[in-house]
Amino acid sequence: MIPPILVLILAGGKSGRLHALGRMRTASALPFGGKYRVIDFTLSNCVHSGLNRIGILTQYAPLSLQGHIGIGRAWDLDRREGGVRLLQPYVRQRETNWYRGTADALVQNRNVIADAQARHILVASGDLVYKMDYGPLIARHEARGASLTIVTAEDRQDEPERHGVVETNGSGRVLALRDRAPDGAAAAVSASIYLFRARELEKRLSDPGLGPDLIQDMIRPMIAEGLPVFAQPIDAYWRDVGTINGFYEANMDLLKPVPPLNLHDPDWLIYTPTEDRSPSLIGDEGEVTASLVAHGARIEGSVCRSILFPGVHVERGAVVEDSIVMHDARILPRARVHRAIIDKLARIGEGAEVGVGEPVRHREHPHDLHAGLCVIGKRAEVPAGARIGRNSIVDYGVRESDFARGDVPSGATVRARGGRAG
Amino acid sequence: MSFVSYAMILAGGLGSRLCLLSEKRAKPALPFGGKYRIIDFTLSNCVNSGIFDIGILTQYRPLSLRDHIGIGRPWDLDRKRGGVELLQPFQGWAETDWYRGTADAVWQNWLRVEERQAEHLLVLSGDHVYRMDYRHMIEAHLERGADATVAITEVPIEQASQFGVVRTDAGGWITGFLEKPKEPPSGRISMGVYIFRAAALREELLRDAERMSAHDFGKDIVPALVEGGRVAAYLVPGYWQDIGTLDSYYRANLDLLRPDPPFPLEDPRWPIFTPSTENPPARIGPRARIRSAIITHGTIVNGTVERSVLFPGVVVEEGALIRDSIVMGDSWIGPGATIDQSIIDKRAHVGRGAIVGCGEARPNRRCPEHLSSGITIVGKETRLPEGISIGRNARIAADLVEDDFPATGVPSGEALDRKGAVSHTADLVAG
Repeated sequence: MIPPILVLILAGGKSGRLHALGRMRTASALPFGGKYRVIDFTLSNCVHSGLNRIGILTQYAPLSLQGHIGIGRAWDLDRREGGVRLLQPYVRQRETNWYRGTADALVQNRNVIADAQARHILVASGDLVYKMDYGPLIARHEARGASLTIVTAEDRQDEPERHGVVETNGSGRVLALRDRAPDGAAAAVSASIYLFRARELEKRLSDPGLGPDLIQDMIRPMIAEGLPVFAQPIDAYWRDVGTINGFYEANMDLLKPVPPLNLHDPDWLIYTPTEDRSPSLIGDEGEVTASLVAHGARIEGSVCRSILFPGVHVERGAVVEDSIVMHDARILPRARVHRAIIDKLARIGEGAEVGVGEPVRHREHPHDLHAGLCVIGKRAEVPAGARIGRNSIVDYGVRESDFARGDVPSGATVRARGGRAG
Repeated sequence: MSFVSYAMILAGGLGSRLCLLSEKRAKPALPFGGKYRIIDFTLSNCVNSGIFDIGILTQYRPLSLRDHIGIGRPWDLDRKRGGVELLQPFQGWAETDWYRGTADAVWQNWLRVEERQAEHLLVLSGDHVYRMDYRHMIEAHLERGADATVAITEVPIEQASQFGVVRTDAGGWITGFLEKPKEPPSGRISMGVYIFRAAALREELLRDAERMSAHDFGKDIVPALVEGGRVAAYLVPGYWQDIGTLDSYYRANLDLLRPDPPFPLEDPRWPIFTPSTENPPARIGPRARIRSAIITHGTIVNGTVERSVLFPGVVVEEGALIRDSIVMGDSWIGPGATIDQSIIDKRAHVGRGAIVGCGEARPNRRCPEHLSSGITIVGKETRLPEGISIGRNARIAADLVEDDFPATGVPSGEALDRKGAVSHTADLVAG
């Protein structure tokens, strides 16, 4: 029997490191795996674990998430009791503020937490891709009498400071949560999934002196005060997709001969609102290998090691390799796309080449674009015959007329003139 | 104001010319085009035409249809006013009978029409594949003040004898209606899409109920109304396919693969709605070869697929070849197996190295009238043993297991039935 649990999913942050992909959406709302959005993994984990009282904390660009979640029907979360709610900041009679941080977002939703009368509160980041049964986590948390259990994972990105290194003793008690391991060695990082005893969380949220950040202002003090804070490792696949590389690699993992994350597991399906699209049509000159193809795709060219979202059209003679192509993007005849992430409704002109040339790091963001990936933003139009270098960005909504000349060198960004909406 | 807002869809027929495919389901529930059922086309036509109040007349094996329709959510038909309901025969106070024909089915449910005080009624068929905006026909019907308006399409004259052929005068009024004539005078046939003035239809249904007849719209009701001289023809351009036979079912599916398909399934202005299954995107393996195919969510392709339609959850293992075939949901095609010019029903299991559809084509001995063009058909949930070979025009029953097959295989033109099979009639009476 699962004790009453309230789930709060943090999905409000602006993901600056996603660059063009993070315009108009949070990492949680990113399309993933051919038909999903990233938040579907957390939501599906919740319903498979029997947790169906869920609040999603939103702030930055909530519309795409709002449209996606709707009343929660896809997850059977359209319920009389519980279900899913989006919690956007709102105006009050006194002290109106945006969420100033993760802890502040919880403070501003104290009434939601109190009304739930839950025994524990699961606070989880919405921009993670993983499958996890929260049941054993909850059982262990209860058995240990923990005030807080921090789920930990193996660090795959070599950026431990994104989540924090969890230092434990032999019995799983958390001793510290640091930015980096003291000796720089590989260590377990926080998976950004926290299970709080509700009483403890509510007590801290009602402290007027509480700072705005969940880790800095709540979790670290709890550890320092010697409260029973434990770690619980996640033994399965877990990825943070809040960076371009993390997002790309996690998608490509699905194409491995034995994918580390099985989307076909009938006992743990990932639910998402399925769009009304026709089946996919592969033409008489089409060719597809080692790829995931969603409904409504039309393939008349060649597709290899790629993920095609609904409604993608790959026209005759076009070649798409090692790429992610989102909804309704069009790859015109004879265009070539290599190691690119092409956002929704983008158009790659006839004979254009995306992802060619020297692998020079991105000039402004060398840390985020160094693996040779090219990002083409939503609704962007790449002119016919243009050559787009590696590690480059064609921003959201860029039109053909925004290209000064046909070619974009590696490591550059093409922006829309006049800074169009977004 | 008189307008047309209620439609009845005839979906009760046995579909015996579809052979095995309709053994366990009504014709309108047949899987089609990778993710649809035939009735989705008519239902989507309705909602795309603004008709949201629909009764579906069922009789023969309604269960798969009922599961498919549910409360009508995919079509936005889960409504407070209107919506969709299945009208299955029921026991009445005095007279009780199964529906004796399409006209009788409507007559037995006439209360539905009366409750709505409908002045006009749209009567549709659930087993046609086409796109049509009924609003244009409704407009024409109202403008002309017809007792009935019949949608007409043109087919090659040699095919017309399977349908109701119409003769019209210069003003577009129907002067003759010949149901399945031996020598059709033209290729102008009725699509089985009618609008009736409710009062005129009621009168005719009442008369028909009391006489000896087939109680059929095409055979009895429309010809009788034509005598009255107030039945208009309405010509509908574009693709229309009746899914009455195995051959037409097969052809209509493969038509979707033509370089110039009869109509795009992906058309945001005229979507075809259907309940979507919870399946991940199609997974295409590194050694897959796919040419000219329809694939759907949940399929896993590691072999070769040419000119074929794969439904959700179909798995094609390495080295398998599927050519000119239709493979329905969740079937498994083992490594090195070959499927040629065949229809494989749901959840079939084709063992490693098995060959389905090989050799010379000989008409099927049991049902030569349905199985003679070379198509082999494998029933639902049948398990074909490894390495078996099945000829052309063969009919392999549903629910067979490996031990039911002779080691020598099944030659062309043969039928393999399950032992102790029950006949259709017994099934029907048992309900």
